[in-house]
Amino acid sequence: MRPQANGRIVRIKKLSRSAGQQILREDQIDSTEYDSLQDQYKVETGVEKSEESEYHLQAALAASTGGKEGEIPAPPAEESPDIDYNSLYSLAFDKPATYIRFSQTVEECTGCQYDMTTDDEAFLKAYNQKKPANARCSEDDFERIMEVFEETAELQAPFAAVDNTVVPFETMKVSLKEQVEDKLHGFAKDIYEFWKSRRQGSGNNPLQPSLKFETHQENDDGDPYVCFRRREVRQTRKTRARDVQSTDKLRKLRKELEEGRQLISLAYNREVTKRDLLYVDRSIFEQRAKVKDVKVKLGIKTDDEDLINQKPQKRKISDFPQLNRPSVTQLRLPGRSDGRPVDADLILLSEVLAQKENRLRAEIEEKAQQHRKWNLGHVDLTREPLSPVHGQGQDTGFRPATAQYQYLMTPPSSVTSESFDQPSPTHEKPDPFTFRYSSPPEEDQPAGQPAYRRRIGRGGRLWIDRRGMPSAGRGVDTTGSDRWKYDQDDDDEQPVYEMDPYDTKALRFRASIPVPTHLLPQRARQEERAAIMARSVVQSQSQPQPQPQPQSQPQPQAQAAT
Amino acid sequence: MAGATQAQEASVGSPAPKKKGPATIDTLRVGCVAMVLKDGGHRRAEILSIKETKSGRQFYCNFDNFNKRLDEWVPAARIDFSQDVEWPNPEKPKDAKKAAVPAPKKTATAPKKAQKRPTSITRETSVASEAGTPHPWTEFVDSLKQSPSSHTDEKLTLALDLDATPGAEDDDSMDVDEVANSAVSAKAETQAHFSREEEIEKLRTGGSMTQNQAEISRIRNISKVQFGKYDLFPWYFSPYPESFTQEDLIYICEFCLCYYADNKSFTRHRQKCTLQHPPGNEIYRDDYVSFFEIDGRRQRTWCRNLCLLSKMFLDHKTLYYDVDPFLFYVMTNRDEKGCHLIGYFSKEKESADGYNVACILTLPQFQRKGYGRILIQFSYELSKIEGKLGSPEKPLSDLGLLSYRQYWTENLVEKLLEDNASGSKCSIEQLANKLAMTPTDVESTLQALKMQVYHRGEHKIVLPTHLIKKHEASKEKQKARPKRSIDPARIQWKPPVFSASTRTWGW
Repeated sequence: MRPQANGRIVRIKKLSRSAGQQILREDQIDSTEYDSLQDQYKVETGVEKSEESEYHLQAALAASTGGKEGEIPAPPAEESPDIDYNSLYSLAFDKPATYIRFSQTVEECTGCQYDMTTDDEAFLKAYNQKKPANARCSEDDFERIMEVFEETAELQAPFAAVDNTVVPFETMKVSLKEQVEDKLHGFAKDIYEFWKSRRQGSGNNPLQPSLKFETHQENDDGDPYVCFRRREVRQTRKTRARDVQSTDKLRKLRKELEEGRQLISLAYNREVTKRDLLYVDRSIFEQRAKVKDVKVKLGIKTDDEDLINQKPQKRKISDFPQLNRPSVTQLRLPGRSDGRPVDADLILLSEVLAQKENRLRAEIEEKAQQHRKWNLGHVDLTREPLSPVHGQGQDTGFRPATAQYQYLMTPPSSVTSESFDQPSPTHEKPDPFTFRYSSPPEEDQPAGQPAYRRRIGRGGRLWIDRRGMPSAGRGVDTTGSDRWKYDQDDDDEQPVYEMDPYDTKALRFRASIPVPTHLLPQRARQEERAAIMARSVVQSQSQPQPQPQPQSQPQPQAQAAT
Repeated sequence: MAGATQAQEASVGSPAPKKKGPATIDTLRVGCVAMVLKDGGHRRAEILSIKETKSGRQFYCNFDNFNKRLDEWVPAARIDFSQDVEWPNPEKPKDAKKAAVPAPKKTATAPKKAQKRPTSITRETSVASEAGTPHPWTEFVDSLKQSPSSHTDEKLTLALDLDATPGAEDDDSMDVDEVANSAVSAKAETQAHFSREEEIEKLRTGGSMTQNQAEISRIRNISKVQFGKYDLFPWYFSPYPESFTQEDLIYICEFCLCYYADNKSFTRHRQKCTLQHPPGNEIYRDDYVSFFEIDGRRQRTWCRNLCLLSKMFLDHKTLYYDVDPFLFYVMTNRDEKGCHLIGYFSKEKESADGYNVACILTLPQFQRKGYGRILIQFSYELSKIEGKLGSPEKPLSDLGLLSYRQYWTENLVEKLLEDNASGSKCSIEQLANKLAMTPTDVESTLQALKMQVYHRGEHKIVLPTHLIKKHEASKEKQKARPKRSIDPARIQWKPPVFSASTRTWGW
C-alpha cells in the first residue's frame, strides 16, 4: 500500500512474472503521473547489507539511476617504473592458429621446484670463488640439489618444524643418487651444510614460503591464513545396490590390477628365459670353440656339422591362406636382435592362430560337404506343400477319375517320391486298371468332373486329394455335408478319406487289387524305417523313464494307404 | 564532508553507547574510533591496528562507511586529537573480537539470541539506502533490540519519515554520511546474526562468498605486488604465506601466478617457467580476447594461485575451502609474450542455488575498460548454451553490483525498446529467458531503474528517457568504434559433465 500524491491509498495488485506487461517510453506517459509512480519498490541489491549503504556505492547508484555515470574510487594499478619486462618474460609466444588445448600443470611447466633466493646466491658465489673455474656449481645444479634436500626432508620428516628433526646427510645421499647425476655429488656435502643452517635459521620450516593448510588444530578455523581446506566428501545414501556396485567395482579393479601384475611377471619370466637362452647359446659356442680346437689339435676332419647350428626343419607352411601373417611378421622381424630367421625357432602367435583357423575351416568345409552329400537329390516338398511342382499348373497331379470311377473308391497306390519328379513309371507300364494319366488341359475339364491327385507328404505319408467327387458316404451323412467346408489341404491334421470302410463293395474291390510292382521298393524302405523306429522305441523304453513315443507307430497313414 | 564532523552516538565498531573522551597518540588503542583526515575532510575511522615505523607510529584506519579497499595506514598527524575519541567497550565480546583481529584466536561467537532477523526492518533499510534518502535510525535499531514489542510503531514512524525525506537526486554529502550510520548498525546486526558455524556450513555445501566479514582478517597484509608489467596495490587481505606480510613488494609470475617475496627467486623462476597462457583449453577466441576453461581439480596449483591473487581484490571471496568444486573461466589478451590474464570468473561445477558465477574479477590494471561487461556477457552465453538461467553468487561487491546493473540495464533496455517499437507486451519471464537471467534479477533491475510502475491498475514497464538517450548514444558510438562483445558463434564449448563418482570421490 502506498500513499499517492493526492493522498489516496492504492492497493497494488501482485506483480506476476509471467504476465505480459505494456511497455511504454517515459514520454508516452504523463510526466507528473510518472513522477508520482516512483519509489514504490524495495530493491534487493544482492550487496552485503553492511556495505549496501557505503558512501561511494550509494553515490554511484544514485548517479546511474539519475542517468549519470557513477564511479567507485579504488586504489589504481600502475605500470612498474623499474622493471625489465622483456628480460623477465623473455619467451616469445607462438600464437597457434587453432584454439589451445593444454593440460600440463604448473609444476610440469616450471622445472625445478626450488628457486634460489638472494641468500643462496650469495652463498653460491662465495662457494664458487673457492673452486677452480671448471668445477663450479651452477645455479641450476644448486637448485637441483636443494630441491632434493627439501623434498627428502619433507618426506622423511614431515613434522620437522615441530620436533626439529634434521634429516642426516646419509639419507640425503641416497635420494641424491636416485635423482641427480653423479657429477653433482661433489657439491652435495657443502650445500647440505648450508641447507641445514638455513633450515635451522627458519625454525626448520621448509625454505620456500608456503601457504598455511589445515592442521586440524583448535585454532585452525580462526586463522585467516589457513586456506584451501579439504571439503568433506559428500555423503551418499547407502543402499544395498550401491554396496554391491562398490564391491563389484573393487573386485573388478582388483582383477585388473592382478592381471597387470601377472602380465608384468610373465614378461619378466620371458626376459629371464631369453637371458638364459643367450647364456646357453654362448656356452654352446664356447664349447664348440673348444671342440674345434681339440679337433684341429687331433686332426679330426669329419663331423663338422656339430660345429654349426643345424638348420631347423622348415616348418610346413599350412594351407591356410596367409593373409594377415606377412604384416605381423614384418612388424616383428626387426625386433630380432640375433638376426636369425624368425620362423626358425619361434612359433608365432599368428601362425598358431592361422593353423587353428585353418583346421576349423577344413572341418566346416568337410561337414558342409557331408551335408551336401546327404542332401543330394533331395527335394524339399514341405516348403510349399501345395504349390505346383516345377512350374506346372496349380492343378498338377489332378487326374480326372473316369471310366470305372464308380468302382475306384481308392486310387491305386502312388508312385514313390523318387519317381515323382520324373514321368511316372506308370506311364511306361500300363496298369491293369487303366488310368488316364495324361491330364487333359484344365480348362476343358468340366467343373463337376471328378478328379484326384496323390501326394507324398511328410514322413512318406501318402495323400490323396480329390475334387468334384461325390462321396459315397455323403448321401448317407447329410448332417456332415459341410464338414469339410473349412478344411484345408495344407493342415497337418489327419486326412480323412471320405469313404465308408465297411462298405462291402469297396472291400471287395480293394481285395481284388494286386500290389503294383513299382511300389515294392518303397514298401521295403518303409518297412526298414519302421524297423529302425521299433528299435529306437525299444531303446527309449529300456531307459529308466520310458516315455510314450509318438513315433512308436511308424507311418500309420502310409501303411494304411498301401 | 561537513557531516562527518558531526559526532554520532553510534560508532564504526559497535552500536552500543560509547565512552568518549580525549586521547593522545600514546593512549590511542586498537578499537578506538577517532576523526581522521581523509580526502580533505575529517571522517570517523576505527583504528584496526597500530605499528611502529621509522617515521613514527602508524594507525590502520577503517573509515566510516567507506569500502575497506580505502582503508589505510595513517600517521598520527592525520588524526584530529582535538576531538574526543570513542573508546571500545571492553566488556562487549564483539569489541574484543574487533580488537583481536591480528590474533584471531580470541574470536568469540556472536550471541545467537536473535537468529531470526526482523525482515521488515531490513527492508526499510534497503529502501532508505537505495533511494539515497537516508535517515538516522541507529537508535531505533537499538531500541528495537531491547524491546521487540515497540516494533510496529517504530516502523510506522520510519515509513513516514521516508516520505518526508528529499528526493533521490539529492546527492548531498551530508545525507550520504547519514546513511553511514545506518550501515554501521546494519553491520553490527549482521554480525550478530551470522554465527561462524552457520557460515562454515554454508561454505561447505557450496559457494565461494562469505557474508561474515568478522571472520576475515580486516587488515590488508600485502602492500604492493609486481604482476607482469604492473604494480598492483591490493585492496584486501589475502592469505599468502605469512612471511610475505613483512615485504614491501611481492612478485607474482604473470602466467603461472606463482608468488615470490625474493627478487632472486622470482628471476630464477622466470627463467624456468614455460607457461604462456592459462593452463587449460581455450574455448573462445576473437581478435581481442581469449577465454580458457580451467578445472580447479585438475589445475589445483594454478587455480589456488589465481584465488590468492583475486582475493587481494575481492572482499567477500573466501579461500576457506579448496578450489576443486569450481571451474575457472579466464579471460586473456594475446600479444607476442603470451596470453595475459585480464580477469576471470569462477563457477561452481554444480550450483545448488543456480548461480552461474561465483567470483568475478577484472584485474585493477584492466578495470574501467569494459572488460567486466565482456566477462559478464560470457557467463551468460555459457548459461545460454547450458539452457539455464543464471545469476551471480551473492553477496555482490559494490563494483560487482554496478557492473551487473550496467550489463542488465543495457540488455533490458535494448530488448524493451524492441518490444516498445513493435508494441507487443512482454513479461518478466520472457525477458529472463531471452537474456538467460533469472526473473528475480530482471525484476530487481527494472525496479531499481524505476522502470517497473503500477499505473491505472496495471503493472507497466516504463523506459526512462535518460536510459533511451544513453542507449541511442552508445549505438551512435558503436557505429564509429564497435563495442567489444562476445560472438557466441566463436564459443567452442560443451557444458562439462561430472560423473557421480568424481563428485563422490573428487570433493
